[in-house]
Amino acid sequence: MTSLVTLEEAAVGYGHEPLLRGLSLSVPPDDFLAIVGPNGGGKTTLLRTLLGVLPVMGGRRLQPAQLRIGYVPQREHVDAYWPLTVTEVAIMGRYRLVSPGRRPGPRDREAVAAALARVGIADLGPRAFRTLSGGQRQRTLVARALAAEPELLALDEPTSGMDPAAELDTMDVLRALHREGQLAVLMVSHRLEAVANYASRLAFIDKDKHLFRVGSLEAMLSPGALGELYGRPVTVREENGRRFVYPEPGVTA
Amino acid sequence: MSGFQEFLAARDIWRDPLIASLVAGALCGFLGVYVVLRRTVFVSAALTQLATLGIIAALIFEESLGVEVEHAGVQLAVALAFSVAGALALGMALHGRRLPGEAGVGITYVLAGAFVVLGANRLVHAAHDLNAMVFGNAVAVPRADLVALAVVALLCAVVHGLFAKELVFVSFDAETAGALGFDTKLWNGLLFLTLGFAVPVAARALGALPVFAFLTIPAAAALLLVRRLRSAFVLATVIGLVAAAGGYLVSWFWQIPTGATMVALAGLFVVPGALLRRR
Repeated sequence: MTSLVTLEEAAVGYGHEPLLRGLSLSVPPDDFLAIVGPNGGGKTTLLRTLLGVLPVMGGRRLQPAQLRIGYVPQREHVDAYWPLTVTEVAIMGRYRLVSPGRRPGPRDREAVAAALARVGIADLGPRAFRTLSGGQRQRTLVARALAAEPELLALDEPTSGMDPAAELDTMDVLRALHREGQLAVLMVSHRLEAVANYASRLAFIDKDKHLFRVGSLEAMLSPGALGELYGRPVTVREENGRRFVYPEPGVTA
Repeated sequence: MSGFQEFLAARDIWRDPLIASLVAGALCGFLGVYVVLRRTVFVSAALTQLATLGIIAALIFEESLGVEVEHAGVQLAVALAFSVAGALALGMALHGRRLPGEAGVGITYVLAGAFVVLGANRLVHAAHDLNAMVFGNAVAVPRADLVALAVVALLCAVVHGLFAKELVFVSFDAETAGALGFDTKLWNGLLFLTLGFAVPVAARALGALPVFAFLTIPAAAALLLVRRLRSAFVLATVIGLVAAAGGYLVSWFWQIPTGATMVALAGLFVVPGALLRRR
């Protein structure tokens, strides 16, 4: 199966000094890959390198020439001062498909309406983006990403700052999109528990420990892999069909 | 003869300055929406200082060579060079990682201001014009300046008309625009380039302080009043135009400083929005 994005022995970072070297990672079309690690560990840098926003500082990055990407930034990075409606925000996802100097047409507006409906906010189109709740803003940004009709949906901390109910809600939307939409999902999270019930693969990254490891969900939720990431024994327990992550108290590996 | 009849009879005196004020006010009002929403208000202040510094540099150069002082075309060309270079540099500095972007803007502003004062101190013949350059005194606008202003306004209208969606996207959410493949440096550069061209030609017509004010106040007033971005651009343009023209006329009839009158009039437009506080 051809990968959507591949890093081969890549060095990632910005400025002059790579944060990490020798990273190899492929994202196939049906992947649901979560990049997990501590704050400041290099997750967003890896994501941006995978998307081509940051150039690799060594090794290679490969992707098909016409890869369609949908991107959801951290919600806090999107400025709420701008007087834009939900539809006006969502249609920005189509701009890459519209030549410079041209305006979006009926086909673009249909795609935006469909994207808003897919994330359950079809009725919010005329509302001002800045008046929405955090969860509604997140759905708007996901709709914008879907409006691009992406093969790869990339999200940076999509549940950051959300209450548990909104977090589950957002993750359920992502799982449904992944299953129904035939798209790969690549997301960053500093909370393992937020993704442990949804991702099919995990990548652990921590530049301070020179750690980069990627594997299946089962392999990465093993005590050895978790101990490597967190520096202390961590166990994963299943309760009512959901996985919960428990660091062992008072013990450091 | 009544005051109004005297005013009409003097149209050869006020026609070009009034047209220049209208164009500059509308241009700054429009661009101000980007300036305010991108939180780069002090970029426009730094650019106006750089444009003034450019004029000072041209005057010093002319005086030191003993050529004709107050050659408007040369002054404007140097002011444009300073402003455009500053706009591009500040546009890049805002995305720097080692220092917050505001630090570069502040340093540029105070250094340019300091060099304006030092440069003005060296001027012998043209020092009397400095007050007008900085605080605005749109009493006389040379035809060349009016033409330059019209050309720049037309250029900005074409660029912003054609590439509105790209400029709005990279301004609203540069991170996502970059992830989707937009060259954010290119589009940001284009936006700052239009600012870099607009500031010195508008400053020649209105003065540096009014230009800074017009890049801020009409947009802020419009953003307080409307809920749609398109409406904000239209209203800010209209407010800039009305405040510039109204300020010019009021200053004419009441014989008070032109630039300050324009700024004060623009400030009145903030009041309705501030009182209404619509979301």
